[in-house]
Amino acid sequence: MNLTYLRMEIRRLVRNRRLLVFSMLMPAILILVLGDTYTGDIDGVSAKAYLMVSMGLLGSMSAAIGSGGTIAVERGLGWNRQLRLTPLNPGKYVLSKVVLSLVMALPPLVIAYLLGTLALGVRLPAGTWLLVGLGSWLGALPFAALGVVLGYLARPDSVQQVSGLLFMLLAAFGGLWVPVEIMPHLMRSIAEFTPAYWVGQVARGPLFHHGQLSLHALAILLAWAAGLGLVALRRFQADTARA
Amino acid sequence: MTETVLTRSSGKPAGDRAAVSLRGLTKRYGQVTAVDGLDLTIRPGEVVALLGPNGAGKSTTIDMLLGLTRPDAGTAQLFGLPPGEAIRRGHVGALLQSGGLLPDLTVREIVQLASALHRGGPARGAAGRDSRRTRPVDAVLDRAGLTDLAGRRVGRLSGGQQQRVRFAMALVADPDLIVLDEPTTGLDVEARRAFWAQLREETQQGRTVLFATHYLDEADSYADRIVLMRAGQVVADGTAGQIKAVVSGRTIRATLPGADLATLAALPGVDRVEGRGDSVLLHCIDSDTALRALITTTPARDIEVVARGLEDAFIALTMEGAQS
Repeated sequence: MNLTYLRMEIRRLVRNRRLLVFSMLMPAILILVLGDTYTGDIDGVSAKAYLMVSMGLLGSMSAAIGSGGTIAVERGLGWNRQLRLTPLNPGKYVLSKVVLSLVMALPPLVIAYLLGTLALGVRLPAGTWLLVGLGSWLGALPFAALGVVLGYLARPDSVQQVSGLLFMLLAAFGGLWVPVEIMPHLMRSIAEFTPAYWVGQVARGPLFHHGQLSLHALAILLAWAAGLGLVALRRFQADTARA
Repeated sequence: MTETVLTRSSGKPAGDRAAVSLRGLTKRYGQVTAVDGLDLTIRPGEVVALLGPNGAGKSTTIDMLLGLTRPDAGTAQLFGLPPGEAIRRGHVGALLQSGGLLPDLTVREIVQLASALHRGGPARGAAGRDSRRTRPVDAVLDRAGLTDLAGRRVGRLSGGQQQRVRFAMALVADPDLIVLDEPTTGLDVEARRAFWAQLREETQQGRTVLFATHYLDEADSYADRIVLMRAGQVVADGTAGQIKAVVSGRTIRATLPGADLATLAALPGVDRVEGRGDSVLLHCIDSDTALRALITTTPARDIEVVARGLEDAFIALTMEGAQS
C-alpha cells in the first residue's frame, strides 16, 4: 500500500464532495425526518436506536460502493493506463480502493451516531456502541468489493446511476428502509439472500443480544465480502489482461 | 554478459544493451493488422522519431513497447528487460497521447503522486542495493515550466498545460528512456516550440528518446534518426538525409541544349529523365555515378544535385501503401 496514494485518493473524494456530502446528508436527513415516527420498540429494542444504526449503514454503504465505483471514472480518464507506467502493483490499486471505501464509510457512521444521540436521545452502553460501530464499519467491506466490481463493469458515465439503483434495491431488501421485523414474509425471505440484510444483522445484533455480536451473521457477512471480493478480483484480472 | 550484469553496481543500464529492442512485433485487431512483424533496435542515447500518417501503427507500437498492449506475436524489450519490469525499475518515462490525469488534484500533487509511486518501486541496479532515486518534484515542475501553475487543479488547465503535466510525470522517475506518443498534438506553434526546447535539455543529458509524430518538421528538426512507418511496417529507417536519399534518390539538374534524352536515360545510376527546354532533369538511383558519367560523356553545365524534400519522401513512401 502506498500511503501517499491513499492520501491523494481521500483528498480527491473530499474535494469532489458529492460522494461525501451525499453519504453524510442522506442518513442525517432521514434520521431527522423519520425520528419522530419511530416510537416504542422493535422486538424489545428502542426503535430510535434501530433507526439510527440502519441509517448509519445506508450512509456507509453508499460511501463504500461509491468509492469503488471511482474505478469506472478513472478507467474513462485513462488513469489505469497511466498507473501501469509506474511501479504500482495493480493489485495494490484495488486494495487502495477497498481501504478508501473503509475510510469513506466512517463519516456517515459518525454523523448518524451523533444525531442519534443528540436528536433522538439514543443511549447505549459503551460496549454496545463499540460493537455496533465496528459491525457497521466491517459491513462496508462487501460493498467496497461490490463498488470495485461495478467500477470494472460499468461505464464511466453510467456508474453513478447503476450503483445508485443497486444501492436502493439492496437497502430495501436488506431491511434498511423498513425494519426487517415488520417486513412482509416474502420480502423477508428474499432479504436473507442479500448482503445488506446480513450487514444489518451484524450491526444491529448487539442491540438485541445484550451487547453481543451475532457470530452467525458475521460469518455470512464475511462470506459475502469474500465472494464479492473474488468477483472483483476476476473483473480486475480480466481488465488488466485485455489491455 | 552474465558477468556484466552481476558486477554492475550503478543504476544505469549497461551501454552495450539496446534501450529498445522490438522483434517481430505484431498486433491484429480483427481483420486489420495494425503492426506487422516490426523489428526495431534503439541504442542508448539515440533520439528517434517514429514517423507515419495516422493509422500507420505508431500508437499500437508504443503501447506494446510499454507493455500496455499485449502483442499477438513477437517481443518487446527495454534495456534487456520485459517492458513491465523496465518500468518498475524506473528506466522508462512515458507521455501518452491523451488522458491519464486526475482532474481533482493540483499540478504539484499529481507530480508528487507520480514521484511517490516511483519511489515505491524496486531499486534500479541489478545488485539491488542502491536506493531508488527520483528527481525532486520542484526541479521537475521547473523543467516542465509548471512552477507558476503548481497550485492549480489539473482539470482547470489548458490542453497544452496538461501536456506539460504529463511531461513532468514522465520525467519524475529520472528515466533513461523517454517515450512520447504524439507529444505536441493539439498544441499551438509556440507551445510546440517550448516543448521541444524542454525536451532537448533532457536529451542533452544523454537520455534516449523515442517519439511518435505525424509532423514531418518535428521529426526532421528534433530526431537523430527517423523510423518511417506505413501500414504497421517500417518502410525507411535512417537520418533525415538518408531517408530523403533512399526514397527519391537525388535529382540532377543541368543545362544541356539539344540533349538526347534516351542516351541520358541510359547513363549509369539514372532512373528517369525529363527534358525542359535547354534543361534536363535526371532522376537518379545513384546520383554520384550518374554525375561522373554526365560530366565525362556530355557537355552539360550549370549542374545542380538536389535531394527531394522530406515531405516528398514521406508522401512517396506512405502513399504506396494506400495503393497496395
